[in-house]
Amino acid sequence: MTDDIQVWVKVAAFIGGGMAMGFGAIGAAIGEGYTAAKANEAIARSPQISGDLFKTMLLGQAIAETASIFALIIAMLLLFADFSNVSTLTISIFLSSGLCMGLGAIGSGIGSGLPTGEACTGIVRQPGMKNRITTIMLAGSAIAQSPAIFALVTSLILLFVDFTGRPVSPTWAAIIGAGFASGLGAIGSGIGEGLVAKSGCEGIARQPLAATRTTNVMLLGMAVTETTAIYGLLIACILIFKSFPAAESIASSMALLGAGLCMGIGAIGPGIGEGFTAQSAVKWISRSESSTAQLTRSMLVGQAVAESTGIYALVISLVLIFVI
Amino acid sequence: MEEIRKVQKRYCSIAITFAIFAGIIFFLFGLKPIGKGLILGTIFSIINFILMGETLPLKIGISRNRAGVYSFLSILSRYALLAIPLVLSIKLARFNIGATVCGLFMVQLVILTDEILHQFYFSNRKDLFFKPKKNRTKKLLWKN
Repeated sequence: MTDDIQVWVKVAAFIGGGMAMGFGAIGAAIGEGYTAAKANEAIARSPQISGDLFKTMLLGQAIAETASIFALIIAMLLLFADFSNVSTLTISIFLSSGLCMGLGAIGSGIGSGLPTGEACTGIVRQPGMKNRITTIMLAGSAIAQSPAIFALVTSLILLFVDFTGRPVSPTWAAIIGAGFASGLGAIGSGIGEGLVAKSGCEGIARQPLAATRTTNVMLLGMAVTETTAIYGLLIACILIFKSFPAAESIASSMALLGAGLCMGIGAIGPGIGEGFTAQSAVKWISRSESSTAQLTRSMLVGQAVAESTGIYALVISLVLIFVI
Repeated sequence: MEEIRKVQKRYCSIAITFAIFAGIIFFLFGLKPIGKGLILGTIFSIINFILMGETLPLKIGISRNRAGVYSFLSILSRYALLAIPLVLSIKLARFNIGATVCGLFMVQLVILTDEILHQFYFSNRKDLFFKPKKNRTKKLLWKN
């Protein structure tokens, strides 16, 4: 029986490692491809500043690649894990950890590529602003990585928390649910934050005089966009650290798995939707700086409304964990 | 290419100097695995950054199909390269895994820190979060 568990743990580690790197590569590849495509356009428009464009592209791609390096780290940890002291729960831990990191890297990979691409276009439009555009691009790309960092943290917690003494049922479902909550929850916020940062680069290139306001509203918009990823992390932490009583019925396991799925899937739409709202506000501030107050207000109201569906998902997840 | 080399030289030299300096401090405090892991991760982070820069012009100046093949090979080789220090630190006790992971992100950390420091301390570009001065904005080059 012990040999059987060891075999299944190895299988779970290999599948988890494959999912971490496989899913994790999707976002970074799309983001880097988008950046290169925009750099092509920019070089075609202004070949004389191709050196600056290559430099911007290199710096942006170095940051955009971070999410997939997180995935690589988790994949390597899973592939070379210690299989000597394992239990049945280790199977779900390895699967969940890989799934969480793989899914969590998708949004940030795509999101980080968006400001870099727009920075290349912006530098062609305003070569005199290249330093500030590069700074905003790097700041935006780095902030867009935070949902992937949440997923990395969840994966590491799953790998290093001691689940000894917990009942197999329903803890296995709570562990898998945690992976879904944090991993899926990071997708929307990563893409949404990238959209806002992209708009920030565009706005500063279009109207350098409005750079201060554009930057401030961009950072505010990105902060609000990130909240759904935080909900995902919160539900994941509750599912990992709360001790659930042993249950023979599969219903309680499904409730915990459902809680994770509910929060994860429920966070995708609000993350992207809030990103669209802030993207539009940041974009139009550069064209109508005098309307900054109204645009910021309308952005916050729009984001709050878009956020409501994420809050519904959070409430239902909490009900599934604590009530049912 | 000259521009890319300058950027690489700047960030890579800062990254390796910081890693060696931090490594020596860890050595002095008897934390050899941490120091070795940090330096190992930083070396591979730098190699990855250099390879990334070297392959950029290859992807842009050629046909679409060849660019696709070059990109795929570039990513494959760079990720295989980044896996080496991770495997070494997992297998060998003389390299600390956490420090190796930190080292792998050293170039990215240096890029971000350098930008922030230049923005707030080392340049006159302090108007990022404040009102820009009128006489400075006149110097901006307007193209569109």
